[in-house]
Amino acid sequence: MTKVLVIDDEAPIRLLCKVNLEAEGMEVIEAADGPSGLDAARETTPDVILLDVMMPGLDGWRVAEQLLEDGRTNEIPIIFLTARAEFRDRARGLDIGGVDYVTKPFNPLVLAPLVDDLLGRLQRGQRDELRREKLTELRSLMETE
Amino acid sequence: MPLLLAAAAYLGTIAVALAVALVASLTAVWVLVRARTRAARPEAGTSQGELEAVAAISNALAQTHDDRAVARLLLREAGSMAGVEVACLAVLDADGKTARGLLGRAEGADLDWFTETVFDLEREPSGVATAAFEAEPFTVEDAAGSPRLSRPLVEAVGARSAAFVPLIAEGRVIAVLVLCSTSEPKTFSDQELTLLQTLAAEAALALDRARSTSALAQALADNERRMAEQSALLRAAKSLTSDLQLDAVLHRLVEQVAELLGADAADCYLYDRDRHVLRCEAVQGLSPELIGFEFAADRGAAGEALRQGKPVIAAAYSGLDKPVPNEAYADFADAIVAPMRWSESLQGVLGVGTRGGRRFTVEDANLLEAYAGLASLALANAQAFDARTRQARVQRGFFRIASALGQSLSLAATLDAVAHAANEAFAGAFAAVLMPRGSTLGLAGSTELPAALADALDSGLPESAGCLRTAAADNRVLASPEISEDDRFELAWVELAGRAGCRSLLAVPVASPREETSGLVIVFFAEPRSLADEDLELARHLADAARGALQRSELYEAERTARALSQQLARTGGVLATELEPTAVLDEVVQQAPALLGAEACAIRILEEDQLVVSAASGEGTQDAVGTRAPSTAWLSGDVFQSRAPLAIDDVSGDWRLIEVDPILQTGYAGFLGVPLSGLEGALHGVLAVYALRPRTWRPEEVEALQALAANTSAALSNAELYSRVSLEKERSVAILANIADGIVAVDRDGKVVLWNAAAEEITGIPEDEALGRTPVQVLQRTLESGEEDAPGGQRLVSIVKGGEEVWLSLSEAAMRDPLGAIAGRIFAFRDISADRLVEEIKSDFVAAVSHGLRTPLTSIYGFAETLLRQDVLFGEEERRTFLGYIASESERLTEIVDQLLNVARLDAGDLQVDLGRIDVGSVVSEVVETVEESGTTNGHRFELDLPSEPLAAEADRDKLRQVFNILVDNALKYSPRGGTVTVGARLREGTVEVRVGDEGIGIPQGEHDRIFRKFYRAESVGRDGGGGGTGLGLFIAKELVNAMGGRIWVDSTEGAGASFAFELPASRE
Repeated sequence: MTKVLVIDDEAPIRLLCKVNLEAEGMEVIEAADGPSGLDAARETTPDVILLDVMMPGLDGWRVAEQLLEDGRTNEIPIIFLTARAEFRDRARGLDIGGVDYVTKPFNPLVLAPLVDDLLGRLQRGQRDELRREKLTELRSLMETE
Repeated sequence: MPLLLAAAAYLGTIAVALAVALVASLTAVWVLVRARTRAARPEAGTSQGELEAVAAISNALAQTHDDRAVARLLLREAGSMAGVEVACLAVLDADGKTARGLLGRAEGADLDWFTETVFDLEREPSGVATAAFEAEPFTVEDAAGSPRLSRPLVEAVGARSAAFVPLIAEGRVIAVLVLCSTSEPKTFSDQELTLLQTLAAEAALALDRARSTSALAQALADNERRMAEQSALLRAAKSLTSDLQLDAVLHRLVEQVAELLGADAADCYLYDRDRHVLRCEAVQGLSPELIGFEFAADRGAAGEALRQGKPVIAAAYSGLDKPVPNEAYADFADAIVAPMRWSESLQGVLGVGTRGGRRFTVEDANLLEAYAGLASLALANAQAFDARTRQARVQRGFFRIASALGQSLSLAATLDAVAHAANEAFAGAFAAVLMPRGSTLGLAGSTELPAALADALDSGLPESAGCLRTAAADNRVLASPEISEDDRFELAWVELAGRAGCRSLLAVPVASPREETSGLVIVFFAEPRSLADEDLELARHLADAARGALQRSELYEAERTARALSQQLARTGGVLATELEPTAVLDEVVQQAPALLGAEACAIRILEEDQLVVSAASGEGTQDAVGTRAPSTAWLSGDVFQSRAPLAIDDVSGDWRLIEVDPILQTGYAGFLGVPLSGLEGALHGVLAVYALRPRTWRPEEVEALQALAANTSAALSNAELYSRVSLEKERSVAILANIADGIVAVDRDGKVVLWNAAAEEITGIPEDEALGRTPVQVLQRTLESGEEDAPGGQRLVSIVKGGEEVWLSLSEAAMRDPLGAIAGRIFAFRDISADRLVEEIKSDFVAAVSHGLRTPLTSIYGFAETLLRQDVLFGEEERRTFLGYIASESERLTEIVDQLLNVARLDAGDLQVDLGRIDVGSVVSEVVETVEESGTTNGHRFELDLPSEPLAAEADRDKLRQVFNILVDNALKYSPRGGTVTVGARLREGTVEVRVGDEGIGIPQGEHDRIFRKFYRAESVGRDGGGGGTGLGLFIAKELVNAMGGRIWVDSTEGAGASFAFELPASRE
């Protein structure tokens, strides 16, 4: 069973993720801030982490950095949940080492397919290819902007 | 030296005389030897025995040195050879006119009478005479009957027959041998005569030799005597010539000559060639009154001696044809007069006389002649010495003058040196130099000058010596050999000279280098003094030399004036640099100007409304003049002012028109020199004038110097004026720079900071005194320059670090150039745009925040809506309620955010309506807290209220107050940890109502206490961006609302220890 860690300070959003991912048969672990999210990641070793960027205290960027620096968690793919629509925010996430991002507001029904697809590709060893795709996508978006 | 030479020459003369005598005697010896050689030759017709006899006699004669011995031998041998009874030898005198008997023998005895016999060879006939004239022997058989013989002699001898044989030496008959037979007549054979001749020849040689020897002995004896005389003369000469004064020499001369010759009296006359008279110069044994007596040079024994050119003995003195017409000589019994000559020129005569008793001999005459020669030598020496002394004096004078010339002395020193040189050169008692001073001549230099004369000359040459002024004006030498008898001088001068102890004077004109009229060098003498040729020559030289010296010193003075001026200029320049007070400049100038020109006082008059006001003055008695006024059209300073040209007056004495207008002249000054003081742009400031106590001539360069000083003063005054303007400007500029909001920094050409205004201090946080003199790199750790030669136009962005924070500056730069176009410095102007940049950043963050703030509730609303719409999942009622609740609350949150944005938009537009009224703050606080607690959004926090029981009335708008309080409570809830305590309080404090909301959150750093109230600002920690207030607008809105109600808002917080937000509103007065 796919295990997903959701780190977000907004309780409604955590609930949204939980309800919809569990509906697709995934296990969801919640964390309300950065530090508890890091602890949860190390303890539960989730398959995927959904990480909110704008949080009080430790923000999403720094949580991601710490996850990627830690040998226990650096292989876990991170999908950023961000209200920041600007390209530089998206790019920053990919720069740090995230593999994908979801921009708020989002349709919670797309989360499970996104996680499945991502994990599938990663299993096929397409992690770098995935990031390249995302960067290319971002670039083309920036150019058309 | 010439004296020694003369002595040496004299000794030389003696040596020559000795040499001549020696040579003469040697000649005699040589002659003798030759004769003997000839005599040794055998003669024909003579028997060997007779020859041997002759040889024996010859040998004997050769041994004999005495003429009488020679004669005795000859007479004995000849008498026996001829067989006669009587034999005599008569010797001829040197002149050959007489012969004297040397020796006569008869019958073995001497004929005493014969030695007394004198033969007059020319007048009386005698055998001796005949033999002498014929130089041949001859015989007389009948002596009694022969007329050729001398009767008395024949009778005296009793001669019957006689033979006469001449003795011939050197071809000349020197003696005659006389042989007489008295017993019977005798015929002398030829053989006898030949033998006798041979014998006579030998005897002649012997006799000649003997006489030569005797002559040599005599010569030696004479020499010895002469040596003795000459050494006496030499001694006399030594004492004579050791004294080089002519008078003394002459007196010594007559004294010694009288002693040397044992005379009763002696005198010396010098010959005056022009008048052909002899003038008595010295006497001994005669009345001193005779000195100075003159008589014609052809009279008396002196005249005779001059005519003959040799000493004359006037044995019968009284019997002279033309006696010397003076009674002094009347009792003379004998006299010798010898001429004195030196180098072919007659100098005079030397005479000695006796008054009875002793008679003078030829030797005496010779001695006097020798002495006269010596005397003339001494005289010549003394005269030469006299001339040399004069020459030396002249040369010393030249030297003095030349040495005075050699140095570039000051004028005063040169004038003294000229006086000194003149005094030395003319051997004067003292000397003075008078130079033109005004219309007269004034004392300018002196040496040894007595005070009485110095005082008299100091105030100008007295009228009683007007002829001296005329001499100076006519540029001619004036000599007064005897002042008291000089009718060119008036009595006053004669008396003055007498008091000063001078009898004569010599005035030599010297050209003054800067005056048309000449000055005078006056040499005063204690004794009467006449002017000699060399004095004239010296005077000419003195005049030339003095002119040269004065010209040189004039140059020196000019140079010194120039130097003094440049020093003055430097000093005034120094004053300019240090002293910018016009009065200080004036004071400095009036102190320096008199020193510059050697004057005694100075005044500066400044124009004030058509009047010249004495603004500064220096010098004795001038202080009362300060502040006095005179019309700018008056005399003197007014003239200078009106004409704008210098005015020099040597002497104002007596001119009351001038003295009247100048209070400084009234205090006793005589000389005036004024020059105009120009102001800015050709205007006149006033007049600079110097004053001299005594009348004086103002030299052109002095006038120029004062003009230069005036120009300098004008510049100083103008500068002082400019400075006061500039300093005013500067004050203004400084005030402007100090108050300008932009930072202004100026650096010099070395890049060192020279200006750092208050705004620069503020913006950089670096005080001015730390920045000045250092480069911006040293001060700010970065350069401000663009690096381009010409500063680029427009603004550049640079960042500096201030207190560890980055501060952004908008910087503009300008290059300052010097007149040559080189970079002289740079000016930087900057302002702190950190706030502006922050606004930019904040705006950008705001977009993100608003985006987040809007998207987060939207995400929930959209998400739960989609979730509820899922067909594949069945949610329970509870879940559905929760989902819908979220949709509702998030919608409300969305509305709040939109409201805030609208509020800000209104604030920005100035469209904020405040409705002030009396409000109970406590009730509003309570209401809000209640509402929050009821809404269930306390997030687990607990409220702690601290309100007074009585109402807290404030002037406020109730809605706005609620809004502000809401924001603060909301923030406190958001930024405090869950479950914390939020403290809410309100109280009355110093006329205000203070409301405080405290949390237990992470607190706010000190540096952000102001910034958090700015629009769009959110605390650094991202912790402050969550929630509904996350737009960063809440505190901004709160501040704006409190301000609008006339209150203020602030925060007290320490990082990590919670924050306490407070605001106060004016308490209601009712």
